[in-house]
Amino acid sequence: MRAQVSQISAVTAAAAHVLCLAGLAAAHALAGHGALVSNPPLSLRLLVVCEAPVVIAVFSYLRRDRKSCSFIKAAARGLIGLPVGALLNAFGAIVLGAPVGIKYWTVTIYWSLLMSLFTFVPAACVFGASKIDWQNVLSHSIYFSPTDADNYMISAPCHGAVLGAWLGAWPMPLDWERPWQEWPICVTYGAVAGYLVGMTLSLVLIAVHKRRVRAKSD
Amino acid sequence: MSPPASHRRRSQHLRWPLLFVAILAVHSLAVYLFTRGFLLTRTELDLHSSRDDRPPQGDVSAGCSSWPPPAVDRLVIVVLDALRFDFVAPSTFFPEKHPWMDKLPVLQELAANEKTSARIFKALADPPTTSLQRLKALTTGGLPTFIDVGNSFGAPAIVEDNIMHQLVKNGKRVVMMGDDTWIQLYPEHFNKSFPYPSFNVKDLDTVDNGVIEHLLPSLHKNDWDVLIAHFLGVDHAGHIFGVDSTPMIQKLEQYNQILEGVIDTLRSLSNPGGTHENNLLLVMGDHGQTLNGDHGGGTAEEVETSLFAWSPNTPPDAVLSVLDDSSCNADLNGEEVCISTMQQLDFAATISALLGIPFPFGSIGRVNPELYALSTGTWFNQKMGTDACTSQNDLEAWMSRYAEVLCVNCWQVKRYIDQYSATSVIGFPSEDLQHITNLYSRAQANSSASFRTTCSSEAGSQDKLEGKGSVLPQQIDAYTDFLQTFAKLSRSAWTEFDLWSMGIGLLLMILSVIIQACTLIKLNTICQPSDQKSHSSIIPKFSFAFALVVIRAASFLSNSYILAEGRVAHFLLATSCITGVWYSMVEGKFGVENLVFLLLNIFARFGIEIGMSKQLPAPAITKDHSVSAICKIFGVTSCETLLEIFPIISLAFVAYIVLKCLSQAICQRFLKYFALCATMASYVCIAFHWASETTLFSHAGIVQEFGRSLSPRFVYAIGGLSLVISALYRILGPTDHLRMNQRITILSAIMLCSWSPTILILLGRQGPVVALICMTGAWCIIKSQQRHQRESELSVAEPVLVIQWSLLAVCLFYLTGHWCTFDGLRYGAAFIGFDHFHIIRQGLLLSIDTFGVSHILPILSLPFIAMVWYNTTSKDNKLKDVILNNITQVLFMYGLITAIPATLTIICVTIQRRHLMVWGLFAPKYVFDAIGLLLTDLLICLASLYYN
Repeated sequence: MRAQVSQISAVTAAAAHVLCLAGLAAAHALAGHGALVSNPPLSLRLLVVCEAPVVIAVFSYLRRDRKSCSFIKAAARGLIGLPVGALLNAFGAIVLGAPVGIKYWTVTIYWSLLMSLFTFVPAACVFGASKIDWQNVLSHSIYFSPTDADNYMISAPCHGAVLGAWLGAWPMPLDWERPWQEWPICVTYGAVAGYLVGMTLSLVLIAVHKRRVRAKSD
Repeated sequence: MSPPASHRRRSQHLRWPLLFVAILAVHSLAVYLFTRGFLLTRTELDLHSSRDDRPPQGDVSAGCSSWPPPAVDRLVIVVLDALRFDFVAPSTFFPEKHPWMDKLPVLQELAANEKTSARIFKALADPPTTSLQRLKALTTGGLPTFIDVGNSFGAPAIVEDNIMHQLVKNGKRVVMMGDDTWIQLYPEHFNKSFPYPSFNVKDLDTVDNGVIEHLLPSLHKNDWDVLIAHFLGVDHAGHIFGVDSTPMIQKLEQYNQILEGVIDTLRSLSNPGGTHENNLLLVMGDHGQTLNGDHGGGTAEEVETSLFAWSPNTPPDAVLSVLDDSSCNADLNGEEVCISTMQQLDFAATISALLGIPFPFGSIGRVNPELYALSTGTWFNQKMGTDACTSQNDLEAWMSRYAEVLCVNCWQVKRYIDQYSATSVIGFPSEDLQHITNLYSRAQANSSASFRTTCSSEAGSQDKLEGKGSVLPQQIDAYTDFLQTFAKLSRSAWTEFDLWSMGIGLLLMILSVIIQACTLIKLNTICQPSDQKSHSSIIPKFSFAFALVVIRAASFLSNSYILAEGRVAHFLLATSCITGVWYSMVEGKFGVENLVFLLLNIFARFGIEIGMSKQLPAPAITKDHSVSAICKIFGVTSCETLLEIFPIISLAFVAYIVLKCLSQAICQRFLKYFALCATMASYVCIAFHWASETTLFSHAGIVQEFGRSLSPRFVYAIGGLSLVISALYRILGPTDHLRMNQRITILSAIMLCSWSPTILILLGRQGPVVALICMTGAWCIIKSQQRHQRESELSVAEPVLVIQWSLLAVCLFYLTGHWCTFDGLRYGAAFIGFDHFHIIRQGLLLSIDTFGVSHILPILSLPFIAMVWYNTTSKDNKLKDVILNNITQVLFMYGLITAIPATLTIICVTIQRRHLMVWGLFAPKYVFDAIGLLLTDLLICLASLYYN
């Protein structure tokens, strides 16, 4: 299994990330500049619609147990994981104080779907219901101890997105009275930014890891 | 071997309470020093001047034995809020011309063309430059500070003597139109008023249009002596758009038109025999504003406002020699315009002298000679008294009249100084007072001589005239010297921050926090067994806890975060909970308390939102729309009964839980029965009190009366009794045969059960729900602590849990509908069980209500997180040490967690001391934090003694 896993090379990881990024970029291009501020539901919907197939396809392709699990099955896991993850994210957001008024329902749903795509769906596609893998993904120890490339690929962007969203909520109570301070605009910006940072970090970690492995084998 | 060991232990155990006492002392000193420098206080005197007040005859000369005669019949005051000096003065007075200058040309032209009857003044206001404080200053002639200690705590109406009061008492009729702040300050002083709401800053026109509608028609009427028109547009335009903006310029141009209309009307009415024969127009600002439209602080832009005075009748040309011509400049048309400077402080005295009313008792201003001279009445309407000196020329006559006015002015200010020093909390330094008194007696000693000279000038010889010409200015100078020296002294006492004192206080605070942190680290290394594993796991936890505290503390640097403090605290609490869930997921041991805590967070969050919504002025219907929506479904009457019964039912539930916990916690028989009975009795009383407030007992008057007033007192009495018993038990109770765990549990259980019913009844109907949230939160945190101990097999206090405990306490403060301003105090709670006000009793109840659920209960129940639940050592003696160490450590951490945000608040207040919101937001926050810090320190001292 380990041999199989290490097949994911830095190039594959980079390609996967670029594909995910392309999904985001496409949504951004379709929505137009500044659409997230002027029309949050529309642009969030576009983001989800563009990103969902890309993420599910890419990570189903990278599924871990290739022999016992077909691409279709992995994709189905992703599709089921999407609403579950959304529910968890929405719950977390509400615990942290996201507004719950009727006028926010649609944006909250879209936002949590997007967050689910950043955090929950990749792991669902790749790992299925494997408990240990999930714990590995959640753990912060991956940054300190070497682990598999796909662990890096999934956890770093996931952690980045969550942290980014958390930080993105900070400007909300300020009295600048800017339209982007509304829920969930700045939180979405934060999440996307954190996601991008996480992707970069994961690539760096994978590269460092590969070099170390190569040095060790030499 | 053993006696020295036990002795050492005892001395060690006494060392910690001493340390806490030291921390309390240092914090008190720091807070005292900072407060002395920052919160300027002044005592309001409720004495009033009256028409019959006379200076004692031996003291002063005959010339000034009564209040000055009126010089003006009718006065029109147009107040333009936040009128910058450069709005009025010609742009040639400034190095650069800006778009907002020269937009009031009508005033400039008048000042240029009618030099003898119109004048532009630069009026210097004193900070705080907020409208309410300025209006108060303008009418009382004093220097209002942040805390004017007086009877009007809570209500804005002015009780100090002021012009409005004197006007009414002396039969003058006042008409007011515009800003409704005037109505709040003077609820019953106006004959007629047209107030318009001022709180909506975004509304530029409502107030102004209202004033415009009434201003000109009122000018033609005959039913007033003083007319006040207060325009707000410029202030609001500044707040919203800034000074350099089109709305601002439009507003100024609009005012120019209005003022043209007013001046034309006054001119047409000012013919001899007309309605406005002897009148004066004042156009003035109450304060300035910065280019961003802010005001409140003491920068030049904010304090420099302007005053324009014009009397339709021209005084004799001699007035020019009174007016200061030092700062004259050509205006845009090449005409010469002169500008004088005056203190806003002098306004009240000058107006009183002009209108011929007694000076307000607390006025410390000087009658401004230039403004006084501009009024024609002071030149012609000469006194025809006993010693009329006929042969004087205009200027001399005016000067002698002015000297008399100043004489009265000095006497009145001296009277105020004497009264104030005799009665106020913090008086003036005695050497300064001595200096002032010397100046006064010197001035008054000269006066009799100078007035005598004045009147002996009937002979009219040239020599005497010359002699007198030099005596009078000297006399005026002596008076002026006295008045200005006193104004300077009071300014330094009432408007200037003492930066040294503030700095030392701040420094002490920072030092104490650093020392506390170092001690905590040291304490931690002492208590820790040198185990590598435990050491590696404790560092991330400490840093996470530290990060939470620092984030919360740093958030106080912004006013928006202070406003949203409850939400910030909740956000951090939720963050720590989610981190806890994440951590337990990684470990693979997910406990039910994590989930419960998350759900509790959601409840707390809605509670905080409801609690903070009370802060905003909103109509009552929108406040509880969710409740009213439910009411619609069930029908109104059944809903009301439900709302009345619901707290009682939930109270029964709370009581059940509390009794169950108590019966488990206390194993001593006597104590157990006492605690159970006391708790049961208190809860029955609370339920009875709430029931009697509803319609349930409306037919039985005595029962209702009993429930309303006696049962709360009964609850307080039981609380006091249990407090005494718990103290007695602590001192006299058996210690040896009890296990340490049990002992601590018993002690904290009776402590909590003596406080909680009182706090519960003060919280009112929301109490049971809050109590449930409290208990659930505490349960979750204690469960986490137990699990943490079981897993790590270490009996140390977890810093994250202490943080959660303190964040939960902050959340509870906001959840119970408090917030950090003085109108956030729940005054109603102080009168539960009592109808009459008594400062100590009601103050005590109010502070228990304010700090009960956020300070008293959390700190007194801190031992629960310090308890060792899983005994790993068999020796009880060692366990005792561990527990006591834990308690000390937890108390120490809690103290530090409170001290760090308080220090940041102090830093923030120091930085923002000239901020617009300093008196509205930062200063109250500082007061609450300082009191909270001292209370926390005190409670920690007591707790460390009690649980020792």
